[in-house]
Amino acid sequence: MPGDERSEKQAAAQQAVDILHEISTILNCHLDRRTLSICISMIENGVNPEALATVVKELRKEGQEAQIESSAATARRR
Amino acid sequence: MSNERGPRIANAIHSLIDHLVPSDAHDDSAEERHDACFQLARSIFERPGSPAISSDVNHASDLIKRKLIASNPSQALRFANLYTRLLSLPVLNQKWAILYLLYQLSDSPDPNEPLPLSPLRQQPASTPAPTAVPDDEAFNDAFAPGGLKKLPPEKSRRGPEEDRSASRADYASPKAVRDVSLKSTLLADNSLEIDPSETALLRDLPFTLQGLSSTTLPFAKETSLRLPPTLPPPIISLLHTLAEPSLLYRGLSTFVKSPAKGLLGQSLRAAISNELRNYLTLVATLEGQIRRALSELDENAPRGGIGKAGVTLKRCVVWTREATMGLRLMSLIAEESNSKQGGQLITLIHGFSNSHGDPVVGAFAERLLADVTRPFYDILRRWIYDGELSDPHLEFFVREQNPNTEDRKETKAKGQASVWNSKYEVVDSMVPSIITADFAQKVFLIGKSLNFIRHSCGDSQWVEAYSKTSSKELRYGDTATLETWIDEAYKTTMQRLMELMTTRFHVFDHLQALKNYILLGQGDFIALLMESLAANLDRPAGAQYRHTLTAQLEHAIRGSNAQYDSDEVLRRLDARMLQLSHGDIGWDCFTLEYKIDAPVDVVVTEWGNRQYLKVFNFLWRIKRVEFALASTWRKCMTGARGVLQTTDDLVLQTWKSTRGVLAEMIHFVGQLQYYILFEVIESSWTELQKNIRKPSCTLDDLITAHTKYLTSITHKGLLGARRRQFQDHHQPSDPTNPHHPEQPSHPSSEDRNSYMIQLSELLRTMLAYRDSVDGLYSWSVSDFTRRQEVDAGVSIDDDGLDGSGGNTGAVKSEFPALQERLRQLGSGFRQRLQILLGDLAYQPDVDMRFLGPVRRKSKAGGSGGGSASAVKA
Repeated sequence: MPGDERSEKQAAAQQAVDILHEISTILNCHLDRRTLSICISMIENGVNPEALATVVKELRKEGQEAQIESSAATARRR
Repeated sequence: MSNERGPRIANAIHSLIDHLVPSDAHDDSAEERHDACFQLARSIFERPGSPAISSDVNHASDLIKRKLIASNPSQALRFANLYTRLLSLPVLNQKWAILYLLYQLSDSPDPNEPLPLSPLRQQPASTPAPTAVPDDEAFNDAFAPGGLKKLPPEKSRRGPEEDRSASRADYASPKAVRDVSLKSTLLADNSLEIDPSETALLRDLPFTLQGLSSTTLPFAKETSLRLPPTLPPPIISLLHTLAEPSLLYRGLSTFVKSPAKGLLGQSLRAAISNELRNYLTLVATLEGQIRRALSELDENAPRGGIGKAGVTLKRCVVWTREATMGLRLMSLIAEESNSKQGGQLITLIHGFSNSHGDPVVGAFAERLLADVTRPFYDILRRWIYDGELSDPHLEFFVREQNPNTEDRKETKAKGQASVWNSKYEVVDSMVPSIITADFAQKVFLIGKSLNFIRHSCGDSQWVEAYSKTSSKELRYGDTATLETWIDEAYKTTMQRLMELMTTRFHVFDHLQALKNYILLGQGDFIALLMESLAANLDRPAGAQYRHTLTAQLEHAIRGSNAQYDSDEVLRRLDARMLQLSHGDIGWDCFTLEYKIDAPVDVVVTEWGNRQYLKVFNFLWRIKRVEFALASTWRKCMTGARGVLQTTDDLVLQTWKSTRGVLAEMIHFVGQLQYYILFEVIESSWTELQKNIRKPSCTLDDLITAHTKYLTSITHKGLLGARRRQFQDHHQPSDPTNPHHPEQPSHPSSEDRNSYMIQLSELLRTMLAYRDSVDGLYSWSVSDFTRRQEVDAGVSIDDDGLDGSGGNTGAVKSEFPALQERLRQLGSGFRQRLQILLGDLAYQPDVDMRFLGPVRRKSKAGGSGGGSASAVKA
């Protein structure tokens, strides 16, 4: 039954994400589940993990800068 | 990335950006930012990744584990758990990559915390990321994560380095704008072209490391490597460092092939060749790395692109460093081992493992030791469980004694050699330092006892059963268990041996019998023997026949309590004659003998037998003198009522003094006997009993106690040698003797056995005196008959009177000579006795003073018939 298989697979995937999330917590990676699952799917699609790590770091920096800027902007707007 | 996957990844990137970079919907700058981010991500992905990352799932997990152990050990266990669970899941094909990603992201700063306001970041960050890219690469070049990841896992030392490089790469980007990148590019641009090129050197390096010649790096001789002269000094120094393991390997591989002198030498070679195999594995890995790096070389890059390949000469130096240390240590051991063998070899390696400051060296030597000691423990096992010494190359610390050495000959000459203490010996220099001296002694005793039980006691069945039940595999490592095992073996063997000696070989019965018969403990037997033999022994030695002697012995046994002794004992009792010399009479040659056979002869050795014989002969002589004196005394006493009655005052006076001296002699002999039998033999016997009845008594203890027993008997029994020296040596420190200044230290001209000689002089004097008394007695008897004849002769014819008158003259003339001789002998006896007592008074041994006078006064009063009382009662 394909449906069963599928749900089984999904459960396994869910479990994998759980485990990996736990590992990432141990390692202080500061990844939330969503980011993690995006990363996993990217890697499963053949993305180089090292590059992905760089990207995540870069994007975080961007995000922080954006936050600073937006907070500055709201301060200016006032 | 395949085309089909492209859009999926793009989608993923978009969602990632959306998630990580929060954007306000109304802000159009957000759109721009999104695009910029997307471009950035794209460019990063497009870039070719580092090729050398191993796609092994274990590798990534190892990295994480190591990191966790370093920072947070409790989490490491949890990680290991999660990791196994992850592995068991059927989904996910790229588990290693995910783990690797997590590893890369580990300990990254929390994205929710605001960024520190660095001045660098304040300027418009249009292109910081792209510049960061080459910097990262430069750092990766410098610290080589790619290459290092390939090393065998045993090189744990690499872990921190890895961490360091990774963490540096983490914060590389902020610093990147500064001169680090400049310097590295500068270096890359300005590198010299060298001949032969580093690539060529690298290609040949694996061969060199295996000790094989190659075109660029040929081995000139057995112990030297020729370096190409065209190279610049830095490369030369690198090659010098690399040449060390190569040369050491060459030396060691010849050592391994050289023939070994012994089993331990063989095992050492085996252990070293094992280590060399490990080294070759390392070289093979290295070769693989080099091959791979060389195949990916970009010919057009600066320095032949070697900087990017991940393998350089420098790295090779680093990778071979630990192996070089191992090789160095091994070649040191190999060199030293030529002059050492057996236990010394173990001591040598053990010295490295426990006294070398470097823990790496210690651990290495320990590992080596486990292999090297194997034959040693095999020998040890055979020794303590089978009692067999299987040591063809003389490597064990127990060794069969060489019968030709000086020591051995000496003990043999002394008669102290026996199967027990002359078969094996401990060689102190061969006791390895993994075993203490006590322990070695114990091991020695165990094996010796087993061997003794098997070969001398004929109880090999027990030994076999024992070795079957208790044999254990011994190996280097836990000394505590080994010690308990050996203690156990020691206890069992000793117990068994003592049991055998007591029950099967009746050692204690024999000792008792020796005391009873040889040391005259069995009074009734000796008295009977002497009585029955007396008439026989008065005849010359040549007229003694063995069968009469044995017949009398048998008679004495049957007639005394000795008949109740066991057959085992009586069978061994024998009477025989010593070697006779001219003029001896039976008394001088007769001796009793107690035959001791193996294995009891380890306790009562030949030497011991001689001591027993010596004591017996001495006692026998005293006994004989006593017996003779007593019979003469008896004769005189009965005679005094009859034949000896006379009216002649002179004769009466002579008889009176003669009886006085005779009484003195009897008293002295009685005292001497009492002293020897009770003060000496009995007390030593008690001591011996006390020592050998201990539950923990071993055969060695028994032998020692018995030797001590005999020594104390001969020493205190005035038979010991070296009395004078002994006394001189001790006198100054003897506080109980205030007279030592006036006691001139007798010159060494005095005989060593002076007590012995004095005593035999005394005994001889007594015998001579007794002969004279007998003479006097017969004179008196003949005088008495003459007087009776004279009384009766009044009625007899004159012829007879004439004849008897002539007789009277002859008899008369005999009397003064007899009188003179008796007086001489009597005074001689007194003098000798006084000298002896004087000597005894200064004996350091308290027991020996029992024989001497208690006070000096009584010694002075020893003259004039009081001498006998001077002999302390």
